[in-house]
Amino acid sequence: MSAVVEVVGLVKSYGDVPAVDGIDLDVGAGEIFGILGANGAGKTTAVECIQGLRSADAGTIRVCGLDPTRQREQLRRLVGSQLQESALPDRIRVREAIHLFSTDRSPTGRLLETWGLSERQRTPYGRLSGGQQQRLLIAIALLNSPRVVFLDELTQGLDPAARRETWDVIRAVRDEGTTVVLVTHFADEAEALCDRLTVFRAGKVATRGTPAELINRHARSALVSLRLRAKQELRPEPIERLDGVDSLDIEGDRVEIRGNSRMIAFVCAELVAQGAVGDELRVSQGTLEDALVEMMGEDG
Amino acid sequence: MIAAIGRLAWIEAKLFVREPLALAFAFALPIITVLVLGGVFDVDDPAFEGAPPSDYYVAGYLGVVIAAVGLIMLPVHLAAYRERGILRRLEASHLPRWSLPIAHVGVSFGVIVLASGVLLVTAALSYGVPAVEAPVRTAAGFILGSLTFTALGFLLGTALPNARAAQGVGLLLFLPMFLLGGAGPPPEAMSDTMRTISDYNPLTHVIRALQEPWLEIGSGGTHLAIVASVGVGAVAAWLAITTQRTRRT
Repeated sequence: MSAVVEVVGLVKSYGDVPAVDGIDLDVGAGEIFGILGANGAGKTTAVECIQGLRSADAGTIRVCGLDPTRQREQLRRLVGSQLQESALPDRIRVREAIHLFSTDRSPTGRLLETWGLSERQRTPYGRLSGGQQQRLLIAIALLNSPRVVFLDELTQGLDPAARRETWDVIRAVRDEGTTVVLVTHFADEAEALCDRLTVFRAGKVATRGTPAELINRHARSALVSLRLRAKQELRPEPIERLDGVDSLDIEGDRVEIRGNSRMIAFVCAELVAQGAVGDELRVSQGTLEDALVEMMGEDG
Repeated sequence: MIAAIGRLAWIEAKLFVREPLALAFAFALPIITVLVLGGVFDVDDPAFEGAPPSDYYVAGYLGVVIAAVGLIMLPVHLAAYRERGILRRLEASHLPRWSLPIAHVGVSFGVIVLASGVLLVTAALSYGVPAVEAPVRTAAGFILGSLTFTALGFLLGTALPNARAAQGVGLLLFLPMFLLGGAGPPPEAMSDTMRTISDYNPLTHVIRALQEPWLEIGSGGTHLAIVASVGVGAVAAWLAITTQRTRRT
């Protein structure tokens, strides 16, 4: 996988306050790459340096092989941007905004339809709802079929249904060959969308990997719970001896088995073997959010 | 690149037409000034360097248009763009870096020309408009005055932190400049202090650079040089702030 974005030793400070402190990144062609972290972790500063919107104090940045500061104009034609804190003039109409930011090769009609803005073409930006404004800004970022698109807080202001729809569109964009760099503080969004991700904390890379790798590394806990049917009995000893099981609690007909994610298959097999599958079987595993919380706890 | 700048300029022009405050100051206020001041003074009043008051004030009316665009419309517009992240959105697009300043200069000048045209028609229909005695020098005063106040607009819009500050400071500068720059009482009616302030008022020199060659009551050359110096200073200050801000980001 060839690198579309390569960053080595990126440093950026505001006065004496370091915002980004020695970040290395490499984003491969055609992947959805996530930059995850709490507010103030340095995510936005890093991607704005990568896009050439801020000048780095130190480090090397290449996007599509170009230096974003020195080859800014060439890079702009290859990159789409949806910035965290940006807007359009209140009185500009949707179709005027699309016209302003498009080039001749822009598939404007299809994009407006994809983002549910076809019926709003004459509506001024200031009269769109927050979600529609966000969708317009995303549509503009994707307007000129960019090779790489930077999406900073993609689903901010969108309702749950619109978030899911947006995720589907972003996956489709990736499937068409566009590399996506997603900056977010929503762990569920990163888990649902990203092929790989880097977690920022206090301007440094805290960890990196695929969502599954990060969950396995930092949030391996699992819980199997069920309710036994009348006359069903469970022999606890074979289960407690299973690989990965930490504890088993039985209270009346309620059973809870805790351990790491490795135990799930063995526990379910043992339940079947004992004929004690019961009702309301639930299996819960760690999420990326659990992994992040765990990481913060490890450092604390 | 030219197509992109043209597209941006066209949209910026449409946005201006949809902005009531800018429309009021660039079009309505100068017309009200025409109708009021043109009829206030006696035709034979000697305070107007031998010219009829309505003729004397024509350059003043154009100065009001130029000042309204440079001190109110442009600073508020630019400061709002920066405050709301619109400048960053444009910066992140494929549009060339200088396209917005070029588009704004074009739109500002276009608005000044259009509003001046409307104003002159109103003046012609109400009190009449004097013949232009030295058209080339008058045009030079108009163009240079417009560009200088556009540069001041860029400077204010870039230096001031937000649209509210730009509106407040713009109005604070506009009103005394307007009243003491040649669109208010004639110099003969001013006290010494007011006249001294008027001498330091850039709008005074824009209006004199228009008025003198138009009515042939002077060459306008000195005023033109002062206007050019103010313009160069404003451009230099704007570039310095912009460069410093770019380095800081």
